[in-house]
Amino acid sequence: MLGETTFRRPLLLIAVFNIIGYSFLFLSGEAYNWHIAALGTFVTLLICTVCLFIIKRNAGDEYLFLIVSMLLSIGLLVISRLNEGLGIKQFIWVLVGLTLFFSVYFVYIRVSKWERFTYLYIFLPFAFYLITLVLGKNINGAVNWISIGGFTFQPSELSKILFIFFLASYFKQPDMLFLKDSRYSEKTKVIVNRVLLMLVTYLNIGFLVIQRELGTAVLMFLVFLIVLYVYGRDMRTFFLNSALIIPGLLASYALFYHIRVRMEVWIDPWSDITDKGYQITQSLFAIASGGFFGTGIGMGRPDMVPAVTTDFIFAAICEELGVFGGVAVVLLFMLLIYRGIKIILGVKNRFNKILGFGIAVMFGLQTFIIIGGVIKLIPLTGITLPFVSYGGSSLTTSFIALGIMQAISNTDMDEAGGEIYG
Amino acid sequence: MVEILLLLIKVIFIIVIYLFIFGVIRLIYLDIKSMNISKTNTMGFHPYFKLINQRDMLGFKVEENYTLDRSVTIGRQDKNDIVIKDPFISEIHAHVSVEGDMVYIKDLKSKNGVFVNGSRVDGDQRVLLQDGDIIKIGQVKFLFVAAGK
Repeated sequence: MLGETTFRRPLLLIAVFNIIGYSFLFLSGEAYNWHIAALGTFVTLLICTVCLFIIKRNAGDEYLFLIVSMLLSIGLLVISRLNEGLGIKQFIWVLVGLTLFFSVYFVYIRVSKWERFTYLYIFLPFAFYLITLVLGKNINGAVNWISIGGFTFQPSELSKILFIFFLASYFKQPDMLFLKDSRYSEKTKVIVNRVLLMLVTYLNIGFLVIQRELGTAVLMFLVFLIVLYVYGRDMRTFFLNSALIIPGLLASYALFYHIRVRMEVWIDPWSDITDKGYQITQSLFAIASGGFFGTGIGMGRPDMVPAVTTDFIFAAICEELGVFGGVAVVLLFMLLIYRGIKIILGVKNRFNKILGFGIAVMFGLQTFIIIGGVIKLIPLTGITLPFVSYGGSSLTTSFIALGIMQAISNTDMDEAGGEIYG
Repeated sequence: MVEILLLLIKVIFIIVIYLFIFGVIRLIYLDIKSMNISKTNTMGFHPYFKLINQRDMLGFKVEENYTLDRSVTIGRQDKNDIVIKDPFISEIHAHVSVEGDMVYIKDLKSKNGVFVNGSRVDGDQRVLLQDGDIIKIGQVKFLFVAAGK
């Protein structure tokens, strides 16, 4: 029986974390808040059920979801502390996300040869961008939301994943995707392929910049560079693309007002503390007031930071759970990415391998970009912290990506078995 | 008094998160450790166990081959070198000792026993394995392949 308990011990700790957190919230308010108590019970039960289901059904890697459920618990706890209504909404999004997670998981395993749909991966994101430009709603200066029947949704989040699918189908056989049966010589074919790859990438990034979605644009570019570096055939294309960073940055600095503002605020937020530098300085104050162990859940004032439930949730975590809490979140993301890389090392199907790598890199860079922005290490670009930030689009997209990863960790085992029998 | 209590709760809260992280790291470490054994690239130089059962008929993870380049233990617990989560396998089920070219198997007081070619291995006895022997542990059947075969 000992083996069984050690196997489930981390799960037990998640339950303990949730129970301590929510009972603290429940008791620290003025009146006993039964909504919080109910929410806490549901969250604990839900997460434990899903983890046990994955272990029992042997549905792929069991550590991925274990790590993610800790991140989810931290996120939900901090969001419910900041705004009870948002906490309940986020819980509903988690339910939607979990449904998507399992459906993506089963669909991805059932359907074979995902590289068949290459043209879908190229054109669907463009369709999304055009729809957004026509129907887009302006939220916080960025035109990147569409509203369908009362629900607002951010299509660029989905384009991110579709772009990784495209990269995977391109690098499955590098430089051989387009013009397969044409009469041109091999050399021209390779050049045309590389030009088309760059064209698709920069069109994606260009549309995102038009929508003023800087964070996602930077994220996409970095994922592209890293995948190119790891799976590309020659280094010249990589150096050419990385050399484009400097003129790209200078051009965007000259062209766009909001990029100039971001840079100025990054270099010196204190000179304009009441207006442009307000958000980032409030975030720094919040992080500083936390100390080692934080002020305690519900004891600090993280609500002073604008956009604290979405982009700036890391500041709230640092204030209420302290530096140790913040470092724990970073460590959890490190473990998640480590686990992703570990999974793809054992994968034999090249398409799945690149796709899994792209997703792991995406999670890693997204975490780096937003946490770096919040602690003023790099210029701030608005992007969410996966699984922790409030937001339906971001949470469901992260769950879709996780579902694909989970499927990759499972299907390969079956394939390897087949190879040995054959 | 209240402040001390508050600090205590906060510290416990953070410690729970870190315990979780260490728990996950430990599980991943154990996972990687047992993965090394099932690597197949050293095959031919070392004796190994080959799975006879059809893998999809078993409801738990088993590798196709387990290389025996050193002495190993088999069982359900994560501490073992070869971890098989079969409910019919005990926590620490059997010990396989590799001494030069000789490979012995010993039952470590398991509930359901170790069977070599259909006969149960007695409690304190060590059985010398020959090439082609069939070892049954729980629901899992292995074929023993000696070094160089």
